[in-house]
Amino acid sequence: MTRTRLLSMIVAALSLSACGRFASDDTRGDHAQRIVSVSKQYTEILYALSATDDLVAVDVSSTYPPEAKKLPTVGYHRALSVEGMLAAKPTLILSGGPSNIGPEHVVDQLNALKIPMKYWDVPGDLDGAKTLIRDMGKEFHKEARADSLVAGLESDMARVLDPAKAPTDTPSVAIIHYGQAMNLYFLISQGTAGQMVRWAGGRMAIDTAGFTRMSSPEVLAKANPDVILMTDFGYDRLSGRRDILALPGVAATKAARDGRIFRIEEHDIIYYGPRTGKNVDLIRTLLHQPGTPE
Amino acid sequence: MSTLGRQYRGVLPVLGVLLLLVTLASIRWGAVSISLHDMGTALRKALGGAGTLSLDERIFLEIRLPRAILTVLVGASLAVGGALMQALFRNPIVEPGLVGTSSGAAFGAALYFVLGAALKVHLGAWTLPLAACAGGMLATWLVFRLSGAHVVGRTSVVSLLLTGIAINALFLSGVGFLSYIARDPQARSITFWQLGTLSGASWNAVFVVGASTVLCIVASLRYAQPLNALMLGEEEAEYLGVNVRRLKAIVLLVNVVMVAVATAFTGVIAFVGLVVPHLLRLLRGADNRFLVLGGSLMGGILLGLADLAARLLLSPAELPIGIVTSVVGVPVFLVLLRQRCYYV
Repeated sequence: MTRTRLLSMIVAALSLSACGRFASDDTRGDHAQRIVSVSKQYTEILYALSATDDLVAVDVSSTYPPEAKKLPTVGYHRALSVEGMLAAKPTLILSGGPSNIGPEHVVDQLNALKIPMKYWDVPGDLDGAKTLIRDMGKEFHKEARADSLVAGLESDMARVLDPAKAPTDTPSVAIIHYGQAMNLYFLISQGTAGQMVRWAGGRMAIDTAGFTRMSSPEVLAKANPDVILMTDFGYDRLSGRRDILALPGVAATKAARDGRIFRIEEHDIIYYGPRTGKNVDLIRTLLHQPGTPE
Repeated sequence: MSTLGRQYRGVLPVLGVLLLLVTLASIRWGAVSISLHDMGTALRKALGGAGTLSLDERIFLEIRLPRAILTVLVGASLAVGGALMQALFRNPIVEPGLVGTSSGAAFGAALYFVLGAALKVHLGAWTLPLAACAGGMLATWLVFRLSGAHVVGRTSVVSLLLTGIAINALFLSGVGFLSYIARDPQARSITFWQLGTLSGASWNAVFVVGASTVLCIVASLRYAQPLNALMLGEEEAEYLGVNVRRLKAIVLLVNVVMVAVATAFTGVIAFVGLVVPHLLRLLRGADNRFLVLGGSLMGGILLGLADLAARLLLSPAELPIGIVTSVVGVPVFLVLLRQRCYYV
């Protein structure tokens, strides 16, 4: 039964992918080099730097900016196939780091084929993101553009963190992230998302590190968040309020009663980048807007 | 071993030629097409040790060729394993995993995915295959012990079958539990491994699986004739001078080594071991010597075609091969079920 469901799910997912981004073609053949980015953070920065002339393919999780979706995809960055990668004829793979790319044997095969793989080893915080933007700017000869992006990011952050504009209330927030492997739900409590919520004037309702399996409805019910943010992949798969309330523990929360369950794009909250200041602004708007109780 | 009858002998060369053609197609086509010229020059450079390899030549030598050879070997292992199990249990709906091998291997692999890093157990690329192989061996040993097969006079096929079902359920529950506590990337690894993939093929895998496959097929041929006698019934086989208990132990051992080693490198690939022996029986007959030889060839053909489909259907995306073998295998199996009259 489980296996049948699993098969159906994967066939459906792959079919949809085939109809969508797997069907994209690289229409230009005049690339000086052929870059494949399998990191959503790198992809966004490449576009922000206007360094995409030689970008020929991205992984399926690279969804920002919208133009990135028009490029051929090589699959999910942690479940790549060597055939899919080779179809893009890459001369450089931007991997996002050893923990970002998989499975292991595909990385070994790509290394055996001597296809260069590059990542920038920077801290996973906002300062690390600034360093990354500058390093990538240097790599792709877009130093001036990189400096301007960093300046813009710093100015945005200064604006959103201005104490004079700090909200008066501090809603508790749970973030539900729909995992793509087995329809699992996670609560992201710390890391990038948690930090952005705190900058936006909220506090995390569940105080654990990393991902927490939403295995017990009681965990969420006990946390009783004022606001629930749900990332786009999961939110879009559910067909409306009734489905969302049917998730374990959701209906019992204050957020559900007050109608304060909001959709957020994964690429707005999962990683730091040039838009982080603007994204904090967006999250602040979501956290402090009134709900629509039934 | 006496020679096979003419009715069987004529089929094997045809299967051999088909296997060569399918293997060549499997090497030739994929997300990147490799020309025959590139194959030739790559082989010349590799054997002569001279010249720099182009990317297509490296793809051929490092990716496609080991993958195609591994496909043939794994297909052969699963098909011969299926033939052995069906003969041993005298039951046409048995496949190699019935005695716990596949579920045990899946449990071993899942254990590695979820706890491998925490246990600080790492033997490089060998860790996963060894974990899977150990799991497969453990599950099969448990089936053998708990069914009483190690006790003289207690080698009931029914007991083995039921114990196999129980142990399979136990180990699959373990996989389920590990999937449940796994984090997202680990859960994804378990899922894809359970669906089977040949994308991890390497020359190391080819050598290990090749050694186990060849040795086990040779052993299978040695015991194919006694298995023919076993088809008459255990008592009748004993009257014909077959040591049934010893035969069962050896055939089980051969099956578990062959299937566990193959599964360890590719994950769980369903239906090949079930369908191939049936197809061969429909084609010519139920002589186990033919089923072993024919299975060695037809298993490779079937898995080669499935791998080609897995790589081409949604190119450049790659379907897990278990999806293809299941989608094709289920209808074939249902058709075969309606034609059971051929089975001895």
